[in-house]
Amino acid sequence: MYKLFLCFRYLTRKGIVIFPVLAVWLCVSMLIVVYSIMTGFVDRVRDAGKELMGDVVIQSTLASGFPHYHGLQKSLAHLPCVAATAPLISTYGIMNLPEYQTSAEVQVLGIKPAEQSRVSSFGKSLFWQYRAPLDAANDLGGVRFPTTAAKLIAWGRTRLDAALKTYQQHQQAVSKLKPIKGHGWIADIQRHWQVIKREDYRQAQYHMDRVYRDLRFVEKLPPGMSIQSDAQLRAVLIPRAPTFKPPAVALTHYPSAAAAPKNGCVVGIDIGLYSRDRFGHYHRPPGVRFSPVILTVVPITLKSTLASPQSRRFEIIDDSRTKVFTVDRHTVYAPFHVVQKMAFMQQQDLLSGGVRPARCSEIEIRVHHDQNQAAVNRARDQIAAAVRRFTLNHPAMEISGLSVMTWLQEQSQFIAAVDKERDLITFLLGMMSMVVIIVIFLIFFMIVRDKTRDIGIIKAIGGSEMGVGSIFVLYGLLISGAGTLLGVVTGTLFVIHDNWIHDDILWRIFGITIWNRRVYIFSRIPDQVSPHTVLVIAGLAILAGLLGAIVPAMIAASRDPVHALRYE
Amino acid sequence: MANLLELVDIQKSFRMGNAVVQILAGASLTIAEGEFVALVGASGSGKSTLLHIAGTLDRPDSGAVIFKGQDMARAGRFERHRFRNANIGFVFQLYHLLPELNVLENTLLPAMVAAPWYKALIRARPGKALAVQMLEEMGLGGRLKHRPNELSGGERQRAAIARALVNTPSLLLADEPTGNLDPRTGQSIIDVLVRRRQQGAYTMLLVTHDTAIAKLADRVVRLEDGKITAA
Ligand SMILES: Nc1ncnc2c1ncn2[C@@H]1O[C@H](COP(=O)(O)OP(=O)(O)OP(=O)(O)O)[C@@H](O)[C@H]1O
Ligand SMILES: [Mg+2]
Repeated sequence: MYKLFLCFRYLTRKGIVIFPVLAVWLCVSMLIVVYSIMTGFVDRVRDAGKELMGDVVIQSTLASGFPHYHGLQKSLAHLPCVAATAPLISTYGIMNLPEYQTSAEVQVLGIKPAEQSRVSSFGKSLFWQYRAPLDAANDLGGVRFPTTAAKLIAWGRTRLDAALKTYQQHQQAVSKLKPIKGHGWIADIQRHWQVIKREDYRQAQYHMDRVYRDLRFVEKLPPGMSIQSDAQLRAVLIPRAPTFKPPAVALTHYPSAAAAPKNGCVVGIDIGLYSRDRFGHYHRPPGVRFSPVILTVVPITLKSTLASPQSRRFEIIDDSRTKVFTVDRHTVYAPFHVVQKMAFMQQQDLLSGGVRPARCSEIEIRVHHDQNQAAVNRARDQIAAAVRRFTLNHPAMEISGLSVMTWLQEQSQFIAAVDKERDLITFLLGMMSMVVIIVIFLIFFMIVRDKTRDIGIIKAIGGSEMGVGSIFVLYGLLISGAGTLLGVVTGTLFVIHDNWIHDDILWRIFGITIWNRRVYIFSRIPDQVSPHTVLVIAGLAILAGLLGAIVPAMIAASRDPVHALRYE
Repeated sequence: MANLLELVDIQKSFRMGNAVVQILAGASLTIAEGEFVALVGASGSGKSTLLHIAGTLDRPDSGAVIFKGQDMARAGRFERHRFRNANIGFVFQLYHLLPELNVLENTLLPAMVAAPWYKALIRARPGKALAVQMLEEMGLGGRLKHRPNELSGGERQRAAIARALVNTPSLLLADEPTGNLDPRTGQSIIDVLVRRRQQGAYTMLLVTHDTAIAKLADRVVRLEDGKITAA
């Protein structure tokens, strides 16, 4: 009991302990912040990667793809683990926008939108066909399900009123801004504040537009209708499966129906048509939707030679955001059969008689229980076996070099890279945090030397070696415990509020931007702290305190009391 | 009267550089229960060393330290700590109070060492009543919350005496308790020790250079050439 008591007295009455506490505090909060943010980042990359494609993908090593995909799909559908399949054609080409006089190299994906949406998040990645109706209310914050359409409309109106009010306030503030003359830091600060005011105004405008758009969608609902969930609400608002068919309004873009392209296409959101503001919002110029696009594809023959380029006009009807940057930057989605023809992969009559069957590049498969990676791996093995059986009956497929991979295998390089990055940074910071052990060791060494006489006294009144040693061990635990507690609290608070700290403190007051949302795929900084992370880091910190204290404690315990008492 | 402590043929030598210096060479001393023995001797003769050995703080090279019939020189380490805590009270020339603790906490420390750890959970302060009573009787009633560096030498020594007595030991070992004090304060300290002895009925072995103080003892012994002789 005296051990604990003495620890507390030493803790509260010795100023020097502030340094090890400070060191532990800083290291713990730093590790929590870095590990949590990096983990959040890795998780998002992983989630985006998983949603991007089917759980299992059958691919051909040949650029000309593989035949009999329809039959293969049918036979796979009999497997109990398979939930849905979709064929896909992948080819490279040039995208040309005559109205914007720009071109870019793109990957052209020919997909069947409804089928594809069942195996990947394609449907949910679409803006106009999925996210636009409830964009401002993306998470439907403040709405309690079940609700009625009337309540939802009322909720939308209050939001709109509030948005309008802030918009007007910011508009007023901006209209009062006067140009700043002069140089020096005062003028710089004034300029910075003007930038912030304009930015606020733009944000208010953006938000108001979104709420207004939501309201227009919600107001179409029959007011008495009752809505059970977010999913049901979306299903009501977006009754159709995703499609490449342009809606009727698209015709307003063209002088006549004959002038409009026959087919629609979907562009990746980062393909360069939209701008992003500093909060990561995309601003869609009104003319982009429904504007024509010319896609040019170079088909590859069966003998792997290039055929003459094929061009076709499409109409941008939507944009897709998968949150995988390379995909959003370089991909155009177009109807399966159109791309198949452009790539010469459709069924063809051969000069020598007979037909060459239609081909595709990939079959993407969604399996049951895909949250469980082990189930996905098992499904992959079953699918691979089924593919092998199918190829035996179709000799033409053998040369196509089919591979069956899970999404994780397919994207392993990419995901492993971010994973490793996180582990490396955490490891380096952890090594740096070893300094804590040394700080505690040195300060304890000093304290033990300083307390030599006290140690003698404690032994003279009957304290044992164990007792004296445990005073210092406990002391070390208390110090690292106190530092850990502070570190966990501040680190966790920092992570939870990191977006706020970044936007409202760093940028607003100091004009600093670290997380550049114009560049990063994810607009919010990860702000989740897992209890597991906190526990492990706290445990390591306390262990460090123990390690730092143990040697000085042993020295203290072995001090000869007679010698110690002669110490003056 | 029964013997409380028997020191039998104590040998103790120290290594100083290459030379080995024999400090105690067969010192023997028997102290009866309730006795007050004064130990005198030249500086460096080994009085403190003998006191430390008698209090089981140090081990003799050879010889026995028999306390109530039990040889503590050969007892195990843990047993000696327990024994010292329960039976021995030390008073030092330099007071040796812990600077981070106040007077009351310093006084209670031996009682806390004795108490099992879970007493801390119920915030019990074993020995508190006795400690407060002793400190009040010694005129430190208003100083319970003061830290040692706020006290005078005499007050510190009285607090140290209260600490030595809080576990009601049967043997009090005092090593020149007045050595650092002026004669008047020193006399008051001795008064406290003598008066307390009448109430607490402890045996006392007191090292002193002061013949006036030695006269108060039941018996005076001298340490000379590593041996105890009657003075
Ligand atoms: N740990 C030790 N190592 C070496 N020599 C020691 C040690 N402890 C004591 N001595 C020596 O033993 C001798 C006796 O010391 P001790 O303190 O017992 O004498 P003392 O009689 O108490 O003297 P004083 O009256 O000055 O307090 C001294 O010469 C001292 O230097
Ligand atoms: Mg001495």
